[in-house]
Amino acid sequence: MKATHIIIVVVIAAAVGVLVMASGDMSAYATFTDAASTQNTVKVVGQLSKDKEMYYNPEEDPNFFSFFVKDEEGVEKKVILKAAKPQDFEKSESIVLTGAMKGDEFVATDMLMKCPSKYKDEEIRIKSQS
Amino acid sequence: MEQINYINEHPLPGQIGHFLILLSFVGALLSSVAYFFSTQHQIKRLSRERSWKMIGRVAFAAHGISVFGIIGVIFYIMVNKYYEYWYVFEHVSNSLSQRYILSAFWEGQEGSFLLWMFWHAVLGFVLMFGAKKWEAPTLAVIALVQTFLASMILGLFFGPDDVKIGSNPLVLVRDVQNIPLFSNPEYQIPDGQGLNALLQNYWMTIHPPTLFLGFASTIVPFAYAIAGLWTRQHKSWLRPMLPWSLFSAAILGLGILMGGAWAYEALSFGGYWAWDPVENMSLVPWLVLVAGVHTALIAKNTGYSIRSTYLFMMLTFILIVYSTFLTRSGVLGDTSVHAFTEMGLEWQLVLFLATFLILSIAMLIARRKSIPSPQREESAYSKEFWMFIGSLVLIFSSVLITFTTSIPVYNKVVQFFSPDAVPLSAPEDAVAHYNKYQIWIAVLIGIFSGITQFLRYKDHKGFQSKYFRKISIHIGIAALAALILTFVSKYMINMNAWQYWVLMFASIFTVLANGDYLMAIARGNIKVAASPIAHIGFGIMIIGTMASGLNKEIISSRTMMNVDLIEGFDAKDAGDNVLLRKNLPTQMGDYLVTYRSDTIIRQNRYFQIDYKRLNDRDKVIEEFTLEPNILYDRQFSKIEASNPSTKHYVHRDIFTHISALPKAEMEPRFAKELEDSLNYIKYEIRLGDTIKTKNFHVTFAGYNANPVSAYYRPRQGDVAKGAILRVFQKGTDTTLVRKATPVIVARGNAEYGVADKIPEFKFKVKFSDDHFNQENGLNYQQYELKEGTPQRVGKFEVTFEGFEREIDREKYGIVSEIAVGARLKITDTETKEDTIAVPIFYIDGDRTLNIAEEVREWGVKFQFARPNPETGDITVLVADNLPKEEKIIVEIAENALHDYVVMQAIVFPGINLFWFGSLLMLIGLAMGMWQRYVEAKRMA
Repeated sequence: MKATHIIIVVVIAAAVGVLVMASGDMSAYATFTDAASTQNTVKVVGQLSKDKEMYYNPEEDPNFFSFFVKDEEGVEKKVILKAAKPQDFEKSESIVLTGAMKGDEFVATDMLMKCPSKYKDEEIRIKSQS
Repeated sequence: MEQINYINEHPLPGQIGHFLILLSFVGALLSSVAYFFSTQHQIKRLSRERSWKMIGRVAFAAHGISVFGIIGVIFYIMVNKYYEYWYVFEHVSNSLSQRYILSAFWEGQEGSFLLWMFWHAVLGFVLMFGAKKWEAPTLAVIALVQTFLASMILGLFFGPDDVKIGSNPLVLVRDVQNIPLFSNPEYQIPDGQGLNALLQNYWMTIHPPTLFLGFASTIVPFAYAIAGLWTRQHKSWLRPMLPWSLFSAAILGLGILMGGAWAYEALSFGGYWAWDPVENMSLVPWLVLVAGVHTALIAKNTGYSIRSTYLFMMLTFILIVYSTFLTRSGVLGDTSVHAFTEMGLEWQLVLFLATFLILSIAMLIARRKSIPSPQREESAYSKEFWMFIGSLVLIFSSVLITFTTSIPVYNKVVQFFSPDAVPLSAPEDAVAHYNKYQIWIAVLIGIFSGITQFLRYKDHKGFQSKYFRKISIHIGIAALAALILTFVSKYMINMNAWQYWVLMFASIFTVLANGDYLMAIARGNIKVAASPIAHIGFGIMIIGTMASGLNKEIISSRTMMNVDLIEGFDAKDAGDNVLLRKNLPTQMGDYLVTYRSDTIIRQNRYFQIDYKRLNDRDKVIEEFTLEPNILYDRQFSKIEASNPSTKHYVHRDIFTHISALPKAEMEPRFAKELEDSLNYIKYEIRLGDTIKTKNFHVTFAGYNANPVSAYYRPRQGDVAKGAILRVFQKGTDTTLVRKATPVIVARGNAEYGVADKIPEFKFKVKFSDDHFNQENGLNYQQYELKEGTPQRVGKFEVTFEGFEREIDREKYGIVSEIAVGARLKITDTETKEDTIAVPIFYIDGDRTLNIAEEVREWGVKFQFARPNPETGDITVLVADNLPKEEKIIVEIAENALHDYVVMQAIVFPGINLFWFGSLLMLIGLAMGMWQRYVEAKRMA
């Protein structure tokens, strides 16, 4: 067996090892119920409750934004994001929150919004000129 | 169905385009087949090689010209704004300036497919003329790829289920939307949707074509690899392929770097790299390609690693296709901020990917026996050995990145088989996850590249040779120097974990070792300079990454205000944003930051943010203004984008962007709500007097005939008068006086008041309606005055003494040429005192206007209504019931103004090291390309 072969085997072994380690960083998407039962940071997918209050008053605290999210099981929680309110937030379709439950509130450290495409489902804005 | 003859459509470009799309597809297919047979005849030395090749050439030319034609047609309809075409309607609008037409073209999926095909066609033509014996096999591959790509824009429907093949960029809106409008044969679409505001900048013009040239160019090494296997010329494909692979690495690298620069300069990410899936999937092929370049060099020089070179070059292209699949199929959905949305071409992309994956594997298996490999083992002292290990490290890196980035793909696959499976999520902190592993890749690359540069190919002697002993000393000294410099660098860069120390050492080591090699061993020989320069660039890039990443300081999160005033302040709780009230300086890091003003230019609103750094004696030692801006939509009803602004120094950048504005300014519908909520209190102020409000002293200091207020912008023809109010806060230093000037303006036939504000006092003032009533209460009488003849008005005698033609226009704000004053002598008949008043009459356009003059202490006011040229008389209006004390009636709102910005400020030290290092690396690659090109030409 050549030295290169041994090295390739070692590299593959290392790769498998590191990948197993790396997959430890991944987890399943959680729900608010899961989040409540753990101290750890989790990711929750949900939808913005558009009828509930969204609160952002930068004069009070420019890094405090609260809103309500309904997760995939239909559980609704108040979410606190320690950042400015993102633009177009009201339009978001689904939201991925990273954070942990604190009491009855979900404190998010990071948030990813999925906004609808510019055109999808949008009634086409054309006026007849005749 | 009845055919409607639409009279306002432009069907010709569409018809030409449809034809060209079909032609490009058929041309590519035919060309691929013809070149295939040509290659087969070439291998078997049959007679028809040339004639097949000619067919291939003609077909490819037809294909290429069609692609250029399709692009031309789309540009034509875009420039002419034929909105009946869906692509034009989606991506262009009346307000879109012509310079963004290019950006609009590749905003859509179809346009970017065409851009990709465009580069493939160009590269195909280059190979057709330059590749000689490699022409047939490489073009067979390229034409096959083009066939797949052309199918993506076919837009045909097949079978009973209307299976869609491709998405045609030339469909009409009425093909896509079925609304009653289209039953009208005279319909017209007046405007389109336009280009996404985020994409309206010059990066969007230069980044996609560069990146796509990078993507497209990987097809050349791929085609050569297939050609090498196909024709069993396992060694001779390497030499012509090498310059292409280096070209590809340089351009793809440049494209990726431009993406980073775009993110940093124009978007509000606050960085240049975020390990976003879309970014990752352009980096991964680049890493594999660079690994392939290294093994190709080994293979060319020693004959080892030919198999790996095949594998890596094919993998690069496969990964480009995989990356296309990930970003365009909508799979990334939840994990990426900038993936395309679905287009319904998933299965077509999968087929594309599978075809070339299977083709590559099949070719490798079929030819595995014939690929030569030297019997003798590589020596551990040899260059090829360590270069190969280095390549494996790069592959390892790309496997790791692909593994995490592909999570959404596993989820899709798993859910396909068992729909109830719980989907996996991406790592909670993606950046930390990637950095944690990639840091070791960088460490290994740094150390290996520093040592391996000195080694020689096929060196079996090791320490027995004089050369090896010499370089060992060089390497040892470089390592020692790097160790010392690493400890020195901690005074500049805060390395908060031991891993970073190791990385710093490895980076400095490769810079020193390669620099040493360049000077001491290569003695500045330009022919071998490419590799050391590229590796020095790599080292500097990593140092820059650490400097800017680790020492990045979000100064807006640690404002003095927060730290000092909040009890039990915990730095961890500080958010990244700070609220800056207008004109109220706030300490951030080393800077005193003030939001001074804002300016609207077209749809953009620029905020002038002043940065000042003071020394111990409060002297300004550094001063600059940043202008982050926000882009409103056309109706100014909502914010489309927030663009940062950055001050660049050699050693650091100060980055600023606006994260929020007062609600009333984010959405003007809140502006009225806000005004209504203000609590105005009415005050009467006599000229020269000072009144006390709840928080302020307000002095009415006089009038200004050329007033400017926060809300008043003079317009031609205005007759405006501002009341100068001096305001200072109770209990503060009286030197901190601010001025507010509420304005009364006569515009056209209307007269109204305009408010003013003092943002830092949250103070707003406007004229009360009562003030106007006070003016309206004057009892004017009209008189005709003859020059020199006194006229009795109440207890006064008024004499018109003649016209005053010298008017202080500036004082009164008169722009008109036709202005004249009437000199009036007024005599109090009781006291026998005299005084003079000069009311003014002037004409502005077709309006006659006048400026009244009053004798306040006598309670009388004059208006010069008009002169009567025929008689030489004048008509004046006189009111003698003017209140003797001049006062204004204003309304003042306190503590009610919201004039601020919420912003983020980040200091990136040493970020230029990152840009400089990256560019140096690319320059090294480009130099290598040139060197290998010259070499290949000489050998040919």
